[in-house]
Amino acid sequence: MQVEIKQVAGPINGSTGGVVWDGERVLFSAVGESRILGFDPASGQISEVRRFTNRVNGIAIGPNGEFYGAQEGSRRVIEFVADGSSRPTQSRINGAFHNFPTDLVVDNLGRIWFADPYNAVRATGPQIFPPLNHASVIRASREKAYGIFLPWHLKRVTFDTIAPRAVLLSPDERTLYVAEGDPGGSDRCELRAYPLDGNGDAGEFRLLHKFSGGKRRADRGISGMTLDSSGNIVACAGWRMSGPGPLIYVFAPSGRVIETLELPADMPMRCAFGGPNVEDLFVTTAGGQLLRIKNFRVGSNVRRKSDETSRSSRVEASQRSA
Amino acid sequence: MDIEVRHPAMHEIADIEAPLVQIARGTTFAEGPVWDHRNGRLYFTDIIEDTIWQWTPGIGMETVIHPSGHADGMTIDHQGRLVVAGWASRSVWRREHDGSLLPLVTHYHGTKINTPNDIVVHSSGAIYWTDGDGAFYIPGMESEDLQRYLDFNAVFRLSPDGLHLTPVITDFVFPNGLVFSPDEKRLYVNDTRQSLVRVFDVDRNGDVSNGRTFYELQGLEVGHADGMKVDQRGNLYCTGPAGIHVISPDGNLLGRLKIPAECTNMAWGDEDWKTLFITTHHAIYRVRLKIPGIPVGGNNAG
Repeated sequence: MQVEIKQVAGPINGSTGGVVWDGERVLFSAVGESRILGFDPASGQISEVRRFTNRVNGIAIGPNGEFYGAQEGSRRVIEFVADGSSRPTQSRINGAFHNFPTDLVVDNLGRIWFADPYNAVRATGPQIFPPLNHASVIRASREKAYGIFLPWHLKRVTFDTIAPRAVLLSPDERTLYVAEGDPGGSDRCELRAYPLDGNGDAGEFRLLHKFSGGKRRADRGISGMTLDSSGNIVACAGWRMSGPGPLIYVFAPSGRVIETLELPADMPMRCAFGGPNVEDLFVTTAGGQLLRIKNFRVGSNVRRKSDETSRSSRVEASQRSA
Repeated sequence: MDIEVRHPAMHEIADIEAPLVQIARGTTFAEGPVWDHRNGRLYFTDIIEDTIWQWTPGIGMETVIHPSGHADGMTIDHQGRLVVAGWASRSVWRREHDGSLLPLVTHYHGTKINTPNDIVVHSSGAIYWTDGDGAFYIPGMESEDLQRYLDFNAVFRLSPDGLHLTPVITDFVFPNGLVFSPDEKRLYVNDTRQSLVRVFDVDRNGDVSNGRTFYELQGLEVGHADGMKVDQRGNLYCTGPAGIHVISPDGNLLGRLKIPAECTNMAWGDEDWKTLFITTHHAIYRVRLKIPGIPVGGNNAG
């Protein structure tokens, strides 16, 4: 069957960003409008999931239905609680404020892995906390004692990145994929694979792909990734300004480019599989759209059983809308 | 003190010979200064470090309340009790004479309020405060619940009996400092994001109407609209670029008190109310001025 690309939502004001399938709806960040919206593939309806998110970009759902957002406007990862409230996680690493979390992924232990680059847009309010002297992938974890979660603890994962933009874990969670490099910057953008040991510490990376460089001709690189059902990396990359243009790449874990798909919209941001059988790929764009791609590839169906209850309570909460 | 004079009347307000003295330092984000005339000391908050401090001449800084719910603006009511704009605690609360902390307002019609920023007590006993959304967004001073529920950033009024809560102004972007004119016929409220001061008429019932732009802050220096106070002649003092803008009752800039750090708020103090205490992020300053300010904290306040 032929690939079919359709705009199902937008354009909104500003970029759309993080996108995730919650089992019923495609949730996606309207970054510029500081909202999270939901697309229901059954009805085609768009609904409001959260307001006043202060530029939450990346969003992710954890093994127990925990729902997290990377709040670029406030330099932190926050949790959207099922009752409609939201709360901070941890913003300090070794006592210092981290940068601007933008993309995140949650592993099966509930740990949050997030890309923490610099950001040209300042955080809200007075600039009290300087950025870190590094831009890395950071992992947040928390222990439980007497049935209660202790505070989140942050640990630096990468020590050789300068602009991590997107993160992804392999199906066995022993490899961390990182999209590295500023779009169009002087350092050519890369896709890297870091092996993870049993403690979650990263070893030396393998270079999976290097995008074209050159003054004013540098490719934009990858800004968002997800897995397909075979464990391949499906990545949003490129722009019309230079290089091969806005594309969806499919990389094998080895780095081999299996295929690409040309997009009718510029600067694809993030992607996630969704729909009843996770057979549709949903893509956000700098132009504020949500695109649906049918008959392309099938997503990795690692939905967690425990989602069911929390998802329904999340829906109820959003309907109550505080 | 370094003074920028824009109008001759500024010379009747500030004296370039008066020293600007740093009296306390080491805070991360000082705010909420208020003079306690009964005890001859200054209270102020450190929002980020989650503390309410007192500073006593000859003694210095001592912790009063920690953790403080990242408290922000403070005033003292007519009975001498500390009344606090609770910022991250999403409440307005009062310290009772026995030292207990009493929440006065946490919800409006069953919905959690936003983040109380600055606060004043009217002569009637009614409490007015600005309720912006800062604790949801500004790093390092966040509330436990980051979700904003109200559609507006209000100026709220709590009636003197504490029973009636009214959003008297709802069309600000980020309401911050607020202060009454000496005769309480006017209420000044500034907006940090819009960088302006608006003035409203206040009637006998404490209702507020006829909002109009009073003053627009200009300047490329560090600083923005945050705390405000008035002196006994009705001049308005507003933090802004370069320090503190002194504005006549008809809205003209008389001059600027130049402070070598970003000002957050100020308070009148000492027995003659001619001392201005100024909070900046990392330090507290004191300077003597020529016109006394409006006393705070009750009838025997001076």
